[in-house]
Amino acid sequence: MGPPKPILRQPMMNRVLLALVPLAVWAVYLYGWRILLLLTLTNAVGFLTEWLFCRTWKQPVSTAVFVTATLLVFGLPASAPMGMAVLGTVFALVFGKMAFGGFGRNVFNPALTGRAFLYLSFGAVMTAQWAIPFSGFPAGLAAWAPDAITHATPGMLLKSSADFPFTTLFFGFKPGTIGGSSPFLVLLGGLYLIVTRSANYRIPLAALAGFFLCHTIFWRFGLGKAGPPLQTALAGSFLIAMFFYATDPVSAAQTDWGRWIYGFMVGALSSVIGAFSVWPAGSMFAILLGNMFAPLLDWFIRQRSSAARSPSAQPLGGA
Amino acid sequence: MKTRAARLFLQNLGSNNPVFSQVLGICSTLAVTNRVLNTVVMSLGVLYTLILSNILVSLLRRRIPPRVRMMSEVLIIASVVLLFDILLRAFSPEISRQLGPYVGLIITNCIIMGRAEAFALSHPPALAALDGLSSGLGYAYVLLLIAAVREVLGAGTFWGLPIAGSAWSPWTLLAMAPGAFFVLATLVWILKGAVRPQPATPEATPR
Repeated sequence: MGPPKPILRQPMMNRVLLALVPLAVWAVYLYGWRILLLLTLTNAVGFLTEWLFCRTWKQPVSTAVFVTATLLVFGLPASAPMGMAVLGTVFALVFGKMAFGGFGRNVFNPALTGRAFLYLSFGAVMTAQWAIPFSGFPAGLAAWAPDAITHATPGMLLKSSADFPFTTLFFGFKPGTIGGSSPFLVLLGGLYLIVTRSANYRIPLAALAGFFLCHTIFWRFGLGKAGPPLQTALAGSFLIAMFFYATDPVSAAQTDWGRWIYGFMVGALSSVIGAFSVWPAGSMFAILLGNMFAPLLDWFIRQRSSAARSPSAQPLGGA
Repeated sequence: MKTRAARLFLQNLGSNNPVFSQVLGICSTLAVTNRVLNTVVMSLGVLYTLILSNILVSLLRRRIPPRVRMMSEVLIIASVVLLFDILLRAFSPEISRQLGPYVGLIITNCIIMGRAEAFALSHPPALAALDGLSSGLGYAYVLLLIAAVREVLGAGTFWGLPIAGSAWSPWTLLAMAPGAFFVLATLVWILKGAVRPQPATPEATPR
């Protein structure tokens, strides 16, 4: 016996999905129709996974599951095997979301939880096998999947002082993750989310500030492996991470000041992890770390504001 | 007496299982379950220590002054574990090397101290031995399940033998310590659901 409404309608999540459509179309254009199958498959598996839980809880499945599945695929390289994407989706939903009690209760962004699992499990596929996008019209629209593989993306090469023209990076004719190729389309979708208030503007704004501040310092003084800040921001998945993953309303901070601090922290950590760790990019771990601190930031800020309202009230101590 | 012993035995395997019900001995659960062989040796060590320390504590229970009972228990457990460590080093130095400090750390395994405190101190030696045996078995089978999942998925082998084809790409995360958390959590999830089917409580059905 199923619940009366099988799918919970979440207009906000629908807007996020709409904002992701151009990125999906661009991904097909770059990498062929296999991307569409990958998206369909993970979305179907994601829905099924969540439905299995929601059936026993007698709850409708949230539309957010499609956002999770799509964002998970967008974080993978185009050469990622189907089975890996499916495994990542199941892991993302079971351990990133349903284990916490379903939509609205998860601490970490589910898509990034799944991606972190894949990243740590299948390092070779996730970091060293990048499909080279098709070039020249009709590009991927007339193909299934690219054969050519490269071992490094522009984001990685920038660290060894390679240089790339701005237009290549900005419009996204470059190997990289499926969704993060085109900063132009990411910014377009991101602005749409902000204008429709589906994402809070404070988070990406603070993240950009944090990233550029840290990365400019690192680059000026030649610290770590920091490349030029603007190119680094455009080359990898930094922008899509800050606009689409970091702004997830469930796992991000909920208070205004919390969002400023959370955003800044995520941006700064992206720069630090990208410049000093063995991993090619730091946005994923930065956001997961930010997610971890978001509830604490909110708690602290609510504490402060309630203390300000009633000065006589004693702040709660301890845990 | 017989039914009581049987109930004790089953409880320690199921509803009162040291690992997934009392959540004790988690350090070793996370540390040694990356390979099945290591887990078997570790389980044998814990089983042997539990039985022997339970018997010794039970035999001495009227002679140990309450004020120094913990110290005496640790002393007993430590001597029993040291014996195992020496035997292991003598007869299979290879496994001893692989397990590293974890054999010695059996001394600090909460299950052993817990059984000594909670059971052996107040029960006759025969029952205490049975308690040690069942607790040890309860520990062993949960660890073996975890180790089997982790070794097969995380390395594509079982007992060191490759069982997955070359097309299999191992889930490296499961071979790392965090993987043990995920497998343990899933197992606790499944086993608690199976062993202790709970009626619908407000927490179990959100909203």
